[in-house]
Amino acid sequence: MRQNDGMTLIVKTVTRISVWMILLYGIYIIFHGHLSPGGGFAGGVIVALAFLNVMLAYGRKFTFDWLNIGFLHDLESASATLFLVIGILGISIGGAFLANFITKGELFALLSAGTILPLNIIIGIKVGMSLFLVAWVLAGSKTVKGE
Amino acid sequence: MIVYLLCFVLLLVGLYGVLTKRDLIKIILSIGILGYAVNLLLILFAYRNDSIYPILSKGKAVEQMVDPLPQALVLTSIVIELGTTAMLVALAIKLFEKYQTFDITQIRRLKG
Repeated sequence: MRQNDGMTLIVKTVTRISVWMILLYGIYIIFHGHLSPGGGFAGGVIVALAFLNVMLAYGRKFTFDWLNIGFLHDLESASATLFLVIGILGISIGGAFLANFITKGELFALLSAGTILPLNIIIGIKVGMSLFLVAWVLAGSKTVKGE
Repeated sequence: MIVYLLCFVLLLVGLYGVLTKRDLIKIILSIGILGYAVNLLLILFAYRNDSIYPILSKGKAVEQMVDPLPQALVLTSIVIELGTTAMLVALAIKLFEKYQTFDITQIRRLKG
């Protein structure tokens, strides 16, 4: 079997079913960061693990065709800028860096806690994409003796 | 008190691994264990008996909650640990590409 072919059919089939559930769970953790344990970092790690699952099961070549790696890189860079934009909007509207400038909503509802929800989403994208890209770059290097 | 001692033992396990192991991957794992010991110590400082996690929800009194500040610090520490581990793995891979081994006793030529 060639090196980039990935794992066996069993692993591929299980991954095809489970990867969307892992992705959905990560998104759930990100969106409920201000209500329950978790948040942007934890959810972002789970999102990255969903992509890593595909990379381990199907190999790098399939993942390269399936995902647009350059777009993920742009997304990762843009999320840092978006965080800064929200922080500076806090200066201009609320008076301090990262000050809340949108409605706080109802307590314990999903749309509450002001700018924490968008910031959690931005951190989730940033962490997920950067963790996946780090593992992607490291997996591309040759670590087998004699190659 | 015993939990702090156990935490220190965990730190010593990590230190033992860093000092005695010859495999680069094992050294990186030992550095991870060192970091976990420090994180555990910070969490244990904030722990109280019969207390709950510091997340505001219905029917939970603020007085029962543990101190959230060490937990926030530990979250930052975990993120930085992730970054350092990624960098160490990248350096180990670069060393492997040059020397074809992870054994640190074999990695001694400075050139060529």
